[in-house]
Amino acid sequence: MTTAPYNYSYIFKYIIIGDMGVGKSCLLHQFTEKKFMADCPHTIGVEFGTRIIEVSGQKVKLQIWDTAGQERFRAVTRSYYRGAAGALMVYDITRRSTYNHLSSWLTDARNLTNPNTVIILIGNKADLEAQRDVTYEEAKQFAEENGLLFLEASAKTGENVEDAFLEAAKKIYQNIQDGSLDLNAAESGVQHKPTAPQGGRLSSDAQPQKEGCSC
Amino acid sequence: MDQSVAIQETLAEGESCTIAVECVSLLNDVRDSKLIGLVRQNKEHALFIYSHRRMAITGEDVTLGQIIPISYDFSVVEVSSPDELAVVGADTRVRVTFLEEELELKLPFGSHTRLFLSEVNRAWSDVCQQYPKEEPKFDWLTKYRKVSKGARSLRKSIGATTVKMSQMKKAERAHTANSSALKKEDESARGDALQSQEKVKGEVKDDLIRNSQPVLSNKAQMLGMPQFGLRDNLIKCELLKNEDAYTYIENYSFFLGTYNVNGQTPKESLSPWLASTASPPDFYLIGFQELDLSKEAFLFNDTPKEPEWMLAVYKGLHPDAKYALVKLVRLVGIMLLFYVKAEHAPHISEVEAETVGTGVMGRMGNKGAVSIRFQFHNSDICVVNSHLAAHTEEFERRNQDFKDICRRIQFRQEDPTLPPLTILKHNIVLWLGDLNYRISDLEVDHVKDLISKKDFETLHTYDQLKRQMDEEVVFVGFTEGEIDFQPTYKYDTGSDQWDTSEKCRVPAWCDRILWRGKSIKQLHYQSHMTLKTSDHKPVSSLLEIGIKVVNEESYKRTFEEIVRQIDRLENDCIPSVSLSEREFHFQDVKFMQHQARTVTVHNDGQVPCQFEFIQKLDEPAYCKPWLTANPAKGFLAQGASVDIDLEVFVNRHTAPELNAGLQQLEDILVLHLERGKDYFISITGSYLPSCFGSSLSALCLLREPIQDMPLESIRELSVKSNSPVIDSADKPQEIPKEIWMMVDHLFRYAKKQEDLFQQPGLRSEFEEIRDCLDTGCLDTLPGSNHSVAEALLLFLDALPEPVIPFSFYQQCLDCCSDSSHCRQIISMLPQCHKNVFNYLTAFLQELLRHSAYNRLDVNVVAPIFAGLLLRSPDKQDINEKRKVKEFFQHFLVQTSSDRDIHEKSPE
Repeated sequence: MTTAPYNYSYIFKYIIIGDMGVGKSCLLHQFTEKKFMADCPHTIGVEFGTRIIEVSGQKVKLQIWDTAGQERFRAVTRSYYRGAAGALMVYDITRRSTYNHLSSWLTDARNLTNPNTVIILIGNKADLEAQRDVTYEEAKQFAEENGLLFLEASAKTGENVEDAFLEAAKKIYQNIQDGSLDLNAAESGVQHKPTAPQGGRLSSDAQPQKEGCSC
Repeated sequence: MDQSVAIQETLAEGESCTIAVECVSLLNDVRDSKLIGLVRQNKEHALFIYSHRRMAITGEDVTLGQIIPISYDFSVVEVSSPDELAVVGADTRVRVTFLEEELELKLPFGSHTRLFLSEVNRAWSDVCQQYPKEEPKFDWLTKYRKVSKGARSLRKSIGATTVKMSQMKKAERAHTANSSALKKEDESARGDALQSQEKVKGEVKDDLIRNSQPVLSNKAQMLGMPQFGLRDNLIKCELLKNEDAYTYIENYSFFLGTYNVNGQTPKESLSPWLASTASPPDFYLIGFQELDLSKEAFLFNDTPKEPEWMLAVYKGLHPDAKYALVKLVRLVGIMLLFYVKAEHAPHISEVEAETVGTGVMGRMGNKGAVSIRFQFHNSDICVVNSHLAAHTEEFERRNQDFKDICRRIQFRQEDPTLPPLTILKHNIVLWLGDLNYRISDLEVDHVKDLISKKDFETLHTYDQLKRQMDEEVVFVGFTEGEIDFQPTYKYDTGSDQWDTSEKCRVPAWCDRILWRGKSIKQLHYQSHMTLKTSDHKPVSSLLEIGIKVVNEESYKRTFEEIVRQIDRLENDCIPSVSLSEREFHFQDVKFMQHQARTVTVHNDGQVPCQFEFIQKLDEPAYCKPWLTANPAKGFLAQGASVDIDLEVFVNRHTAPELNAGLQQLEDILVLHLERGKDYFISITGSYLPSCFGSSLSALCLLREPIQDMPLESIRELSVKSNSPVIDSADKPQEIPKEIWMMVDHLFRYAKKQEDLFQQPGLRSEFEEIRDCLDTGCLDTLPGSNHSVAEALLLFLDALPEPVIPFSFYQQCLDCCSDSSHCRQIISMLPQCHKNVFNYLTAFLQELLRHSAYNRLDVNVVAPIFAGLLLRSPDKQDINEKRKVKEFFQHFLVQTSSDRDIHEKSPE
């Protein structure tokens, strides 16, 4: 039998940004470990996690940088935007101030990443409906006005966490396919790692693998 | 089975045989065994076609027949024949075309043939790429043509009905046929290039992101270097380990048969042997020995009996199923045929065949083995048909033959990086053949008596194979079923009568079937007495073998779980540390005062780590200039700790902006772990302003000690001091009071001090003087004369704008030799700078009057003060230093106009 290719073809770099306490680290932990970190200390620094997902039949390795959200670290965390292919901009649906600060985070993201960076807006703590402070429609409109993907998610229940990372990856992959994302640019946040040529004859039934890189 | 060595011996110097393959040439349905080699000379290639006898070992075993240059007109095309059922593992038929000649060859299935064809295609592609500008000449083939002029050439097909196409069309067709192979090669090459290119890019990218050059120790190197294919291997190992989770056992019936036909042609139906099962088997693996006893078969490995017996087998297969021939392999008289139910063919893959001779000289094909290996669903199966050494007393030789076969049969794997696969590496090994083990230590009459009584159990105890297996010297790990049939050798040909020749051989079970592996159950093991063609009886075994079949859904689940585990392992292997503190505050930092704190970094992760402080965006260093972390980088073994000293020290470079309120003692250190997390360490401090590092104009506006003033006032004054408009209500003093205090002190107590300005003071006394000036707590400066003198020098050095401002620097140098011009420049300085300059020069002139005591002269004083009062905005070269000194010397010579200032000073 033919075994699935084990190794990944691409590496996408992600950065998670947003106010302190919105659940950035919990989202990362839920995505990589499928567990909720109840007692999550404030991130003082930049955490790092990886996971391999499948996008349109391609194996993609996500390198995810989870940043400190405290205002005093704002200047330092700007270093990590460079080279991000995707940005998860997170707010807490139960705290309006975290939503109000999104414009500032978005400005940083736009200024510090390349134009093709896919930015997805994540409204976290969707499980706390009773304490909701920001409506879905309001955030949805903000996302549409700014050209962002948008999902509400819950790091606690795991709802939409997988989808959040996957949606951004699909968009990035689509940009690669239609050529708007230049793989050769050093700061595109994407590394192309072609699969080693398989031994033996190519089966006539197998679909030839589409090359993501034209060079 | 590489015979290129034999071909190589026939070649001249500078020519090499890249690869050789044995094949059958087809001409008017006449099959002719050939050895074909790809020969290279410099950049040109040609196919050399040899006739050969037996297994080619030396150059004398091959005879050159035909040479086909690989030129633009050359082509090799794979063709399929309707006569053969196209299944996985079928031999490859190709048509080689060169000019008007065509040659059809049948190449054995396997990776060796694929390699051969890819090499030929590559050679031809090279020619096409250089066409038409460069065309091979093939001069090196001339000597071979002379030798082979008399050789039999290929006869053209008389019955050919196909109209010959033009050369152009043939070239086009060949190009089309080879374009896909070419494309695959291009894709492969491009993939390799891309991979290495991306690797380099990845490294560059990492540098851009991290912008650090860690120094790797050996351990860090081991961990940091990504192992090529390590991830692949991990996943494969885990999949193999968890095979039970996603596979289930499904039973298939395998009919194994062995028949030594003693060189006979088929005379009777084989159905009593092959179709003896109630239901049609899923697989047939039929082995023959002594297919052909002629010299021709031995010498040329060619026999007409192969197709004869093949046809007989095909006719004898079970009539209730349709079978496909997957593979046929033969070595002289040893042949193995592999048939499968047509419905199972899609699940067969990785079919390979191999042969080995153990006969004359340990290599000839009169004895030996042929073998086929394949993968069926998720099980690897290897089938061996062997003919071992003859004669009763040679059982040890037979044991050796077995070992040789196991060692020398090696199947090339599809992944060229993997070593060849041997027989015993397979999940399931099926071994059949004329193993030639005899019954010994019994008289022939006694043996026949036991046979007539059907006491096979007793007779079996005298069987050589059983005894050798019991002693574990041969067929270790193999199983043979119970024998309840009479010995299969030796009979009078055409009868069931024991050998009546004068030799009167002892009956023996020469023909055996054994297996090795799990989930194998034998349903029958029998000989077939009704077949009388040979002096042996055929033997068959029906095995029910449990094959590992993949449950696609379970496989996907297992695979994803394994990948997730490896992801988790990768995340766990991300370096991690804990810090004793994350925030540090330095209280009341003073000018030129060291303050230090310690942060302990503990490696509580699962891997050793390389740490380093890294610089932040748009900053030149990892920390502010007034801050130091030591060590700034290092290596931490698992469980180890390191103390990092954080030191704050404000000097003349950093004091001005701190005094003016333009900078704060604030920074964030980023502690980076190689391949891991980043940790932020917050540094804050409160700085006590000092006259050191403050500007002259600001100090002239201060009427109180600087630390008695509110910070806001100091900042206001700093701003105001830059303004040319001075409010009359805040009339500045002529010179800073701090300068006055130091100079007055020296004037009163140090005029006669020996080596003044040439001997350093005490650091602790300097600190007292600094505090006295900044707080005004004492009326008299503490400390020795040397300490006060050094304090004055440090003060002048710390001025953000020197006494002679930077903007006047170049003018001073330009006119350094003109005394009056120098004085004119001084008269143009801002008022407080001019005042300070005149005050200091008057003081120095006074000191020079006491040179008898303080041993100062112009050559000592000038270099010290010139460099402080007239500082370059950039680095000074030696020529500039000379000019600076020359400029200043003019003011150390007393003039009449300076006398008034001198008389005013003592007041």
